[in-house]
Formats: sequence, C-alpha cells, structure tokens
Amino acid sequence: MAHEIREGLVLPTLIFGSVEVRRLLRELETLDEQLRQMALRRDEKFEMPRVSRLLDALAVENNCDLLRGSDRNVLRDFLKYVIEQAPTVHISFAADPSSAFTAKIVGWFRANINPLALVQIGLQPSIAAGCVVRTQNKVFDLSLRNHFSRQSELLIASLRGDKV
Amino acid sequence: MTIWWLLLILGFILASGSAFIYVILKLHGTPKRAAAGLSESVQRAAREDIDHIFNEEFREELRNRGRLHFEKILGENAMFLQQDLRLTTAQLNDYMKEEISKELKEAFANYESAIGDAKQLAVESIEKTKTAIDEQRQVMGDQLEKEIAEEKARRIKLFEENMAQVINHYVLASIGSQIDLNDQLEYILGELEANKPAIVQDITNGA
Repeated sequence: MAHEIREGLVLPTLIFGSVEVRRLLRELETLDEQLRQMALRRDEKFEMPRVSRLLDALAVENNCDLLRGSDRNVLRDFLKYVIEQAPTVHISFAADPSSAFTAKIVGWFRANINPLALVQIGLQPSIAAGCVVRTQNKVFDLSLRNHFSRQSELLIASLRGDKV
Repeated sequence: MTIWWLLLILGFILASGSAFIYVILKLHGTPKRAAAGLSESVQRAAREDIDHIFNEEFREELRNRGRLHFEKILGENAMFLQQDLRLTTAQLNDYMKEEISKELKEAFANYESAIGDAKQLAVESIEKTKTAIDEQRQVMGDQLEKEIAEEKARRIKLFEENMAQVINHYVLASIGSQIDLNDQLEYILGELEANKPAIVQDITNGA
C-alpha cells in the first residue's frame, strides 16, 4: 500500500535501522492511543506521556507536534513509507560501533546514497578492520582481511625475495 | 744246459750198450737156440747192467738233479714271469694312466668348454640384467626427479598459500583487537567513497 508523505521529511541519524523504525511506529501508535483515551476521558489534568529520545528527535527534526493528531499521522505515514520503500544496507564491523560512529556512517549513507537509507549494523571480528557492506545484490568487502588477501601475491613475492 | 748234458750221457750209455750187445752177437754166431739163449743171457746181462748202471742212487741223483733243474727253471720262469708281469703291469699302468689322463683331459676339456659356455651365458645374462637395471634405474630416477619436482612445486605453492594465510591470520588476529573503530572511520569512509558508484547503482537498480 503506497503512503502519501509530506515533502521535506527527514529521518534522523539516530534512527538508522528498520528495527528502530518499527519500534517508533509502535510507540507512535501507542502514543496516539493514549492521547485518544485521554480525550475520551476528558481529563482535567493533562500529562504528556513520556516519549523516547528517537521519537522526540524525529518530531523535532521534522517540526512536528506530537500532541497534534495530524502530525502524528504524518509521522506514522512517513515511517510506514520508510519501512516499505527505504533501501536497507547491511554493514559489518570488527567491533561493536559507538552511537557517534554509527551516526557518522548512517549520515554518510543518507548524504551520499539515499536520504532514507536504513543501515543494519552487524559484528564480524574476523575482518580485523574496515567493514563489509552488503546491499541487496552485492557484497562490498572493504575490510583489512580482504585487503591482505588481495595483496597475498605481494607477500609471496616478498617471501621469495623478488623485487616488488 | 744240464739237461742236455744228461741226455747226451744217456745217449752215450745207450749207444755203448747197443754196441756191446751187437759185438757179442757177432762173435758167437750160434744157432737159434743158442742164439735165443744168448739173447736171453744178453738181455739178462743188459738188464743187469742197466740195473747196475741205473741203480737207485743214480736215479735218485738224476731225480735230484732234475728236481733242482726243474726248480731252477721254475724259478727262472717265475722270475721271467714276474718280470714280464711287472713290465706288463707297468705298461698297463702307463696305458691306464695315459687313457685316464686322456679321458680326464677330454672330460676336463668338455667341462671347461661347458663352464666357459655357462660363464659366457652368465656374463651375457648379467650384462643384460645390468643393462635392464640401469635403464630401470634411469627411468626411476627420471620419474623420481619429476615427482620430486612436482611435489616440491606443490609444497612450495601450498606453503606460499598457507604462509600467506597464516601471516594474514596472524596479522589480523594481532592487530584486529588493537585498532579502535573510531580510528578506522576515515579509512572506512574513504573505502565507501571509493565504492560509492557501485553501491548507488546496486541500490538504484536493485529489485
């Protein structure tokens, strides 16, 4: 099902994977339900439900007010669009990356590949350094292990004592 | 020589006796009766003379002489026979020696010839065997050298491949945990930038 989205919506770099997007979608639905129930009860004392840092960042970066139902609908449609249409890139590192590192990588993908690109982080200690990027059809081995393997002839030549 | 003398003496005695009897008969020219008596008396006298001459002693002497002579002849003949026998034996020995030597020489010659032939055959067989062994050794040597060269090349290749893998594994294991991920950011972004067209193309043209 195609969703109509408003122009200029962006996906914060904190939200980098489909897992986060789905979690935000569930959180947004929960928030929507809570606000609807509060409206039905006509509570005199209004307390805004606590939202996650990711949802807050999504709302702030897109200038949306989570108290307004139309904005929530916009964000919900945007997240559904992202789940359905955004390209997903799987990238593995030798160690578990920090949030700042992940944000920089995700920022590069969104700046250079696709603004809605989702990144799935994996862990692969055997690559030593660098990363392995797996797109829908290809694998880009940008690791130090692959670099060493490609330079094995040079290593063998060095072991033989040949001039390289 | 003695027996001839004895026969001569006997012949002489017989001739003397016959001459005496003939003279007696001629002188007395008697009639037949007388002649017969005379003849008888002559015969008797002759017999007596004969008995007188050829008495027992003379006969014994003759017998002894004859025995001695016979023994002498026997001894001489025995000696001659012994000499002939020795000579014959010597000749027979020589003949036997010659024959045996001849046979042995022929046999030895045959044996030597046979041994020579066998030796020649053995030498030829040994030469053939040696030639075959040399050829086989050459073939085996070539084959061994070839296999050694192949095995050497294979092991070197395997060593090079494994050595590269071992070194890679060692380096990766050694530095893998030592490189901070933040330090890799520039390298990773550079690699991503280098592969950007391919990534964009795959994402754009992907399913």
